[in-house]
Amino acid sequence: MNSIDASLMIWLNGLSGHIKILDDLMRLIASDYLMPLVFSLSMFWLWFSGKTPSQRMTYQLTALTGISALAISNVVVWIINSLWNRPRPFLDHPDELNLLFYSPTDPSFPANPIAIGFAVAMAAWTVNRKFGLWLAMTASLYGFSRVYVGVFYPTDIVGGALVGMAVYGFTSYLRRALEPLITMVVRFARGVSVA
Amino acid sequence: MSVNPSDVRNLFESHYFLFAFLSSLGTLQIAVTGSGIRALWLTPYRRVTRWLGFVCIITGVLFFFGQPLFVDGPWAAGSVQADSTTRAWGVASWDELAGARNVNDIHGGLDGVDQAIWFSLAAIIAFSVSVVFGALSIKANTRDLRVDAKLDDDDIDGLAGLVHRSYFSNLPISVRNFRLEARKFWRDGVRSADRWSLIKIISGSSSQ
Repeated sequence: MNSIDASLMIWLNGLSGHIKILDDLMRLIASDYLMPLVFSLSMFWLWFSGKTPSQRMTYQLTALTGISALAISNVVVWIINSLWNRPRPFLDHPDELNLLFYSPTDPSFPANPIAIGFAVAMAAWTVNRKFGLWLAMTASLYGFSRVYVGVFYPTDIVGGALVGMAVYGFTSYLRRALEPLITMVVRFARGVSVA
Repeated sequence: MSVNPSDVRNLFESHYFLFAFLSSLGTLQIAVTGSGIRALWLTPYRRVTRWLGFVCIITGVLFFFGQPLFVDGPWAAGSVQADSTTRAWGVASWDELAGARNVNDIHGGLDGVDQAIWFSLAAIIAFSVSVVFGALSIKANTRDLRVDAKLDDDDIDGLAGLVHRSYFSNLPISVRNFRLEARKFWRDGVRSADRWSLIKIISGSSSQ
């Protein structure tokens, strides 16, 4: 399994170094700032985009759950990282990779940025299939770019996606377990005219 | 040339904040023009406001990722894959621009927590700016809104109220409604919550 993972990683990373504009695009997409902001903005958009009171309430509860899932994903990834310190691919295969990114010092599995992307995509998918699919594709592209630039294995990306989706599922149940507290938070926000 | 990570962080914080602010403002404008929340529009016109939203987002992205071309920072020659101790300080060339922002958080880039804090602050300020401009655009639209009977309907509050009145006129109504309804809302919420809701169990109403 590990050798298939490494071979696939080396092949995907091998696509780099031929077309400069593609390398630059992947460096930009793989940035720590662009996609995480897109994921945060998608929840921000969801909060304000409801057209009727009931739709608004549903969207806002989903946005709250999505943001919570995003935060909890980070904790889950941190726990997994402390249990299994998988080295980054550029440490395992220094001579076979063309590193287009800085060298991260944290463990490789699971991919943290992909976990938060899929947690948010799942949240969006529960209220708007098209929007959720669009976000899942964005998160996948983010994952692909991270493999392309040489900082993650493909299984790190798959692991990150599974963690994100599982954490969203857990957070949805957690929200229901904390009802009516969460709905009350939204009702309070309506009281100060922000919901 | 040796670069102090805290200098890099200061630079990133101010740049990221402006990036997040412009993007949040743009996203907010696109969302509120879609949902008709007029009191948060930057201009009195839906289409202009929507386009302004897109312009804000694009400006934010261009500003953040294009700035290394003009502003000195840790993105000069050979810096992308280098440690902060060997990083050169200066402006980036076109060739290095795409990777110029890729700076590890231990070398002064922003980690997830920093980004969350700056994004939250940027989003709050974007909302506040929209409130002020929205109040002005509502005032410009007063003639249309006077014929709107819903302006006098005190049951409509929160964002729904912002469709018809400014944030400043809407706030006292929203606060009053919340104070009147909070207790009932909570009781109804406990009643309709799942049987296994912790709040329901703690309040002892799960068996009822």
